[in-house]
Amino acid sequence: MKHLTTRLVLLVMLAFLVITGAFDYVRLARERDRLVTVAATDQRVFAETLALAVRRNVRRGRTTEELQELLEEIRQRPGLVWAAIYDPKGEVVAAATAWDAPAPPPADHTVTLALERREPRSGLAEESGGKVLRHIQPFRWPDGRTAAVEVRQRLDAVEREFAHAVRERIVYRLVVLVLFVLAILAVTRWSIARPMRALTQGARAVASGDLSQRIDVRRADELGQLAEEFNRMAQSLEQAQQALLEQSEARLRLERDVQQAQKLVAVGMLAAEVAHEIGTPLNVISGRAEALARGIPADDPERRHLDVISSQTERITAIVRDLLDYARPRRPHFRAEQPGPILARVTDLLAGRRRDKGVGIRLELPPEEVQVLADADHLQQVFVNLLTNALDASPPGGTVRVTHGPEPLLPPEGRASVLRGKADTPLVAIHVLDEGKGMGEEELAQAFQPFFSTKRRGHGTGLGLPIVEEIVRAHRGEVEILSVADRGTEVIVRLPVLDPQAREPADGTAAEAPPPERPAREA
Amino acid sequence: MATPVRILVVDDDPEMRGLLAEELRREGWQVREAGDGAEAVLACRGTQFDVILMDKNMPGPSGLDLLPGFRRTCPGSRIIMMTAFGDVPSYVEAAEKGAVDFLFKPFRIDDMKAAIRKALGLQPAPPA
Repeated sequence: MKHLTTRLVLLVMLAFLVITGAFDYVRLARERDRLVTVAATDQRVFAETLALAVRRNVRRGRTTEELQELLEEIRQRPGLVWAAIYDPKGEVVAAATAWDAPAPPPADHTVTLALERREPRSGLAEESGGKVLRHIQPFRWPDGRTAAVEVRQRLDAVEREFAHAVRERIVYRLVVLVLFVLAILAVTRWSIARPMRALTQGARAVASGDLSQRIDVRRADELGQLAEEFNRMAQSLEQAQQALLEQSEARLRLERDVQQAQKLVAVGMLAAEVAHEIGTPLNVISGRAEALARGIPADDPERRHLDVISSQTERITAIVRDLLDYARPRRPHFRAEQPGPILARVTDLLAGRRRDKGVGIRLELPPEEVQVLADADHLQQVFVNLLTNALDASPPGGTVRVTHGPEPLLPPEGRASVLRGKADTPLVAIHVLDEGKGMGEEELAQAFQPFFSTKRRGHGTGLGLPIVEEIVRAHRGEVEILSVADRGTEVIVRLPVLDPQAREPADGTAAEAPPPERPAREA
Repeated sequence: MATPVRILVVDDDPEMRGLLAEELRREGWQVREAGDGAEAVLACRGTQFDVILMDKNMPGPSGLDLLPGFRRTCPGSRIIMMTAFGDVPSYVEAAEKGAVDFLFKPFRIDDMKAAIRKALGLQPAPPA
């Protein structure tokens, strides 16, 4: 900015100097001419007067000595080099010479010419000290011939005066120039430097991350526009940053929710597993105790032992039931939902999961008019689990395909499969296909078992697919896993769609529906 | 009662099965035992049971998987399912598939007998 102002000032100064310099040069040259003319006129008048005086004196018959005396009187004239009287033959009759000047020479060509033509002549001549002004004034000699007076005068006074004029002009120009520069500095500072500094500070603040920075430059000119554009840019950046922040916060929240839900489900599944395993032995214990108790009267002290056994089995049951209740997933809130946006959200959430390994996601969303009766959170959990599995199973550089459609993506050759649930039609089928090494029949058979995982220890809970199954079943849907060794695994989630128009029963549908049977026998 | 009440107990746990069979026989009912789905199906072919008391959790086809088949092959049998406590989804599914009652393990023997009586349409047993 300093450079900009300096350059501007220098440029303006240069232009100023060139223009005023040319102007002053012409003016001073004219002034010099005028001074010379004045000096020449003055000299001419002096020479004419001197010629008159000499003529009168000569006519009165004065001697050369007397003429010399006359001339001596003008020796003090300022600037005089010499003055000489030439007789008609061109000889110097008398002369007055300044103390440092050489004696006047005999008549030169100019003097001769003046004598011949009897007309005055003036001009410049060279003397040892430089240029001098000369004037030759002819006059009539008593014998009728022509004599002349020549006065030579230095241009000292003219030069002095000219130098003075030049000095004056330079001082004047300098003063004007200084004022001018000051004015330019003030103007540039106010109209360029200041707003530029504001812009620079603003840009610096934005660059260092303070996007709330705005520039207070209210002007109608280009800088004002620039400031306005800058403010608009900062605002857009701020909004974009805000949006990004909100997005990442939402992502974090979703991730936390999913993890929390997963943890809870793990507890729930564990508790259910425990409940299943201990239900029968507990029943055997309590049943036997009950049977024993029948043979012992209620007031027998031995009966107490059996009562304790019964109450303690009940206590065990209560403990596990509490655990089950604690982990029980909240009841689903079914609403008409579009699976597309939920899928898009989950894909967005998980896209970064294996990006470092170059695993990409190819997403084809089901059309917007596809609606299912679903709990959005639960459906989201399904997609999170499936996509997480697919991403984790993908080799570096692989692609996970998320798509929809009736037919499986994997070819039937060498394909193992497992199906859970039974979906009502019409349905939408969502496929998640990875390029992993696939699963064999045995692994597939266990895939939906809680706590079964093919992932490395600590990387999977073994609950992803059981949760998927539970949720999909609750949604009256089905989940199928297809796998081809070294080719990949495809999970298909089929959910009945909410579409009154499409609700014409297809052929297979009626046969699969449970037969409408009434209770078999009256009591 | 002219014809004795016939009951089929299906449970893979022999202790449990034994306990149930003993207790039911004490009531004077005829009891057959089956250790899994296949045995149950076989037993069902020869005899018409009044009540089938069946565990949900068994190796091979689960009680829920077997339910529709029993409903078709022996439509006269009332089916009571047993499962672990807290297994509400199975309860719902079993009810949809035609089970008449449901017992959460561990249950009291008296409760089981009451459920069977209810399924048979009998009056509750007099207090022992």
